[in-house]
Amino acid sequence: MTDRADSRTGERVVSRRRPWWSRVARKLPLLLWLTLVWGLLWGTYDAGTVFFGVLVSVLVMSVFPVPSISTDLALRPLRVVELVAYLAWDMASSTLRVSWQALRHGPRIRAGIVEVTLRIDSDHLIALLANGLSLAPGKFVLQIDRPNRICYVYTLGMITDPATIRSEVLALERRVVRAFGSAGERERMTELSDTGKDTR
Amino acid sequence: MTWTDVVAAVFLLAGSLSCLFGAIGILTFPDVVSRLQAATKPQTFGLILIVIGAALRMNAHSASGLLLVVLFQLLTAPVLAQIVGRAAYRADSIRRDTLDTDELADRLHRERSSG
Repeated sequence: MTDRADSRTGERVVSRRRPWWSRVARKLPLLLWLTLVWGLLWGTYDAGTVFFGVLVSVLVMSVFPVPSISTDLALRPLRVVELVAYLAWDMASSTLRVSWQALRHGPRIRAGIVEVTLRIDSDHLIALLANGLSLAPGKFVLQIDRPNRICYVYTLGMITDPATIRSEVLALERRVVRAFGSAGERERMTELSDTGKDTR
Repeated sequence: MTWTDVVAAVFLLAGSLSCLFGAIGILTFPDVVSRLQAATKPQTFGLILIVIGAALRMNAHSASGLLLVVLFQLLTAPVLAQIVGRAAYRADSIRRDTLDTDELADRLHRERSSG
């Protein structure tokens, strides 16, 4: 239990006071994002739109304050592009597969719920993985057992061998960690894969 | 008719087809969880294709808002699927006879019998 708590400290909600400039700097990305969304909604970025965008963003952020969360996520742009490309391909191919199943099997469709033990141990990475898995038709995460890092994946279509589903999920996990994982998570990942532990 | 028109048409038609297959899935699949697969995902994919097709025929100025449509669809659809799916599983409105394996039920059963 203790080592779990240790590995999670990097993600705890920060509550201690920081100097004011630091607090403002941490809010800047959200402010920029909200202003960007405002600009997209209006379809222009002239001075007036940006001005009111900033105004509305400040208003939104003061009315609905969100705690600042520190994560140890890293971002590797090339790997992110690779992940997005993979998800797009997965989405296209699974749509075709599910469409075919709807026509071919319909009411006689088979399905299964498979238990997968993950190697990653970070809330944000698991959330990213679950969202990525649930994006394409045919699969979604039904239940997550966070302390034991187990997720239960519902899969549409005949399950001849649960091991195939497991290796698919773990392959996506590897891509997510490559794109967003911290150095520590990546090391853990290679260690666990090398020893063959937890890769059932 | 330019090449852009042709590509846009292909995207729009493919998107519509994807939505159509989603609708067929909703009608033919047996239970909540499998219908959910047909209801949320092919529809998202279809929407993305339709938006790409539409964006090709519009000027960049008006197409920028479409980006938001895709983004929020991608963020919300999986969450919806997961919440509804979980609720359906808990409420027992899942057709167990269609499942080849159910390792979640196996585990719940183990935990219940062990105390």
